[in-house]
Parts: sequence; structure tokens; C-alpha cells
Amino acid sequence: MLLKLENITKRFGGLIAVANFSLEINSGESIAVVGPNGSGKTTLYNVISGVYFPEEGRAIFEGKDITHLPPYKRASLGIGRTFQIPRPFSSASVRENVAVGALFGRLSGKVSVDESLEIADRTIELVGLQPHRDKAAGALTPVEKKLMEIARALAMKPRLLLMDEAMAGMHPRDIDGMVRFLKKIKEEENIAVVSMVEHIMRAVAGFAERVVVMHQGAKLCDETTEQALRDPRVVEVYLGRPPEESHA
Amino acid sequence: MRAKIVKYYPLIPVYAGYFILFMIGKNLPGMWQLVAMLAFYCAIGQAFNIFLGMTGYVDFGYVAFMGLGTYGMALSIAYFYQVEWLGIGVIVIGLILAIIMASLLSMAVGAVALRLRGAYFAIATIGVNEGFRYLIEGAKIWGGSEGIIFSGQLSQAFGVEKASELSTFWADISVFLIAGIAAFITIYYMRGKIGYALTALREDEDAAKVMGINVTRYKIIAFITSASLAGLVGATAWALKLTYVFPPEAFEIHYSVEFIIVVLLGGAGTLLGPIVGGLIYGLSKYWLAVIVPGFQLLIFAPIIIVIIVAFPEGVIGMLKQRIKGTVLEKFII
Repeated sequence: MLLKLENITKRFGGLIAVANFSLEINSGESIAVVGPNGSGKTTLYNVISGVYFPEEGRAIFEGKDITHLPPYKRASLGIGRTFQIPRPFSSASVRENVAVGALFGRLSGKVSVDESLEIADRTIELVGLQPHRDKAAGALTPVEKKLMEIARALAMKPRLLLMDEAMAGMHPRDIDGMVRFLKKIKEEENIAVVSMVEHIMRAVAGFAERVVVMHQGAKLCDETTEQALRDPRVVEVYLGRPPEESHA
Repeated sequence: MRAKIVKYYPLIPVYAGYFILFMIGKNLPGMWQLVAMLAFYCAIGQAFNIFLGMTGYVDFGYVAFMGLGTYGMALSIAYFYQVEWLGIGVIVIGLILAIIMASLLSMAVGAVALRLRGAYFAIATIGVNEGFRYLIEGAKIWGGSEGIIFSGQLSQAFGVEKASELSTFWADISVFLIAGIAAFITIYYMRGKIGYALTALREDEDAAKVMGINVTRYKIIAFITSASLAGLVGATAWALKLTYVFPPEAFEIHYSVEFIIVVLLGGAGTLLGPIVGGLIYGLSKYWLAVIVPGFQLLIFAPIIIVIIVAFPEGVIGMLKQRIKGTVLEKFII
């Protein structure tokens, strides 16, 4: 097993953002974490990547307790992530941004600056950003920034990749391309991909093998994608109770 | 191998600039003092840039590192001037003391203040220089408020002639050398892993952490490097040149502000920026004092505001944008 969360609880004052949450992720899995706004998805990500430490519960990564490990150490263990609102290192070029991932990710200490730039070039080509390689990252369009963040995270050679709304705002055609790309990467490099999705069911259905639905900080269900898309509880969380038949 | 050398091409304009500056001072009569002052601003700007420019953290207490460096040299001369076999070693000990004292202070300040972000860090550092001044004056250490005057000891140790040569010529030469070393360290950091870490944390510290960067470690490295170089500048440009040190001058916050302006004018985080900034700042300060004595600050302030508004990224920061894609890109960073 790659990651195991045991009864994680994270509070902000009186607000319980994540409540008694358990989850197991195997290597090479693709999982979609879905849930409406404020259901605790981002907090869950922050707990996994080490931005927040949980008040209760434990997080185990590859058999190692990482509950209180600082974020930079988790990155070198192989946890990579992207942000909902991209956070590029604006003044640096796209190439340098991606090289940071290679330099400080799981290969940290094993690659030189020149080698990391080579890794960056390969990864940039993979996501199709080579025309923008030498541009300042701040000058990219929002979608390009998302692609750059994915490249940056992939250059870290993660074992677990957490993607925060990576496909929001993308053209449906781009989403299909992204889904294909993620599937390919996942298989080639055996990365477990956890993708957080608010409402792009197209991406969920196309990509995820498993869907975890969050509601008010707790896990509502954890089942295969097919089951989840038919689950009345999931439909209710998103759309409310279905109308009475007689009204139809 | 060639690729490695190409990385250091930007040092060419830097060293060429210092060489021209040196030649002007050496060959044009009456220019040496002006050149020495310019070299001082360039050197301290480059030292400060390694922290201020590369991390984006503003340190108002920066002058304290220079002040301690000044004391390092002063103490060495004041205590060891009678040890004959030391010879020029007294100066070497002074330089080493300067580095040790400045870096120790930077570790202490860094351990506490570098946990704070942005404006909070700046505020926390304002107290450092003042605190040190009152510590020295109040506790009466190192001569207390009377400071240390060691021109006599310097003459006794080296003889009058050599002592005066030390403070009028070699002190200034050392400043040039320190500036050169600071430039080399800057580009060495920029081209290495440290540079990538510092750029990342300057742009977005939280994202940098999640990307695997131990931000505290790299901030401290930059801080200690920058502080040690400031200590060296203090030991030479202040201690060796003036042959005295007074607490109110050595810890005057006004200098920190000057150095911040030097870095910002030229372009924070660029290699050539602090030199351009040092030249602009030093020259305008000098000429304004000649043309409108007494009113120089009144005229100087708006000039600085105009420059900062026109080139928010500094002169070199702006130039870098302009020369993108040309051959010059390899040389000017």
C-alpha cells in the first residue's frame, strides 16, 4: 500500500474540516476525490502534503509514519501536488520552474542542475509546453500554468500525485487529452494519481478507477466509478433530492 | 566543460566594470576617494543582494553585520598590535573575526526572525542594530559609547608610513576584492541548486515547501553568506579605512536604508544590479552634495522615487527584459 490515512481529523477552531477520515491508496491507482465546495477536499490534500498537521489520526506513506513530517520531506519521499489556483514561480522561466521539481523532488540530491534541466526539457515536451519553455512562468495563460504545474509535479518523479482541480476551466477537448495523458503517465511511471474534481464528470468517468465522495469533511462513499455515478447519495450531494415522479 | 564556463560569462561585465572604476581612480588625479566610495556602495550592494535580492526578505538591521565586522577588525588591532611576529596577521585575524562575529549574529537573528514572513521579518530586524548599539554602550563592552580608536596602534604595529598606506590604499583595494568575491558567490549561487531554491521561495514560499525545498535552510545560507560579506566590508571600508569605530555610527539604521536603495535601484536579485545601483546612488549622492550642499536629500528623494517608479525591477531588471533573445542575454543577468 502506498498511502494509508487512519481516522484523520483536522479542525480550524470549532470547524471540523476533515472528520475521522480514513483512506487507502495503492500504487498506480487513479482516484477521483469529488465533493461540493467546502466539503474538505483541499484540507485533505493539505494534510497529505503536510501543509497542515491533523489533530487526530495518522498518515502512513510506504510504511513510514508521515503524520508530522514537514512538507519538503514528504516531497522527497514522493508526494507531489498541484494547486487549484496555479502557483508558478512567476519570474523564473517554465524550464526553471520544472527543473525545481526535478532538483528537490524524489531525485533530490541525486541529480545535478544540468541533469534537472534535461529532465525539465523532457517533461515539458511530455505536457506539450515546449513552445513556451523559455517564457517567464508568470506570462503563461491559466491553462498553460496548470500544465506547467503538472510538469513541475511530474519532474519530482512522485509516487503519489495529488491534483487539485487540474482540469477546471479547460476546454472539453483538452480535458480528453489530459485524461489520456494522465492514464499514460500513470501506467508508464506507476504513479498513483489522486485528482480532485468539483464537477467535471467527464474527467471523472474517463479517468478514475475509484471515486471517493466527500461531504462535510467526512467520507460519504468510496467505490468504483461506475457504482459512484449511479449512487443516489452522490447524486443527492450534487443535485439535491430528486423530484417526485408525479411532477415529471 | 565549456558549458560550465559559459555559466560564468556574466562575471565579465562585472569585473570589467570594477577594473574600469579602479583605473579611473588610479590614473585621474583626485578621483581615488570618489572611486573608493563608489566601490564601497557596489560591494555592500552585492553582499546585501545575496540576501535581499535573492530571497526577497528586507533586513533593516543589515548594518549591524557591517558594524560587527568593523568591531572585529578594531578589536584585533587594538588587542594584538604589540604581538610582533603576527605582522600582517593582525589584519587577517581582524578579517576572520569580522566574518565570525557577523555570521554568529546572522545565525542568531536568522534563527528567530527568519521564521517570520515579509513585513514581519522587516519589522523584527529593525531592532537588531539599535539593540546592539545600546548593548555596547550600556554594558560598556568594547569601549562602550567611546568606541575604539586604533590609529595609534595601527601605526605602532606597522609604522606610520605603512599604516597610512594600509588605510588610504589597501583598505580600498580590499573593498574591490570583496566586491569581486561577492559577485562570484552570487553567480555561483544563482547557477546552483541554492539559486533555484531561493528563486522558488522568493516567488512563493508555500509552493516551494511543497516542492521539496527546505526553505528555512536556504534562507539561512543566504543570510549568513550575505552577513559575512557585510562583516568583511565593515572590517575594511570602515575599520581599516577610518581607524576608529563608534557605536552610533556603526549601527546607524540610515545605512541599512541606503543599502536597500542601492539594491533596488540596480535590480534586486540580478548580478549586475547592485553595481549599477551603487554607481547611480554613490554618484548622485556625491554630485548633489557638491551642487546643492545641504539640500541633497531633498532633491535625492524624488529622484529615487522617479527611478523606482520608472523601473520597478531596477535598471538591470528592465534591461534584462529588453535584451531577451539577444547575445547580451548570456552576459547580463
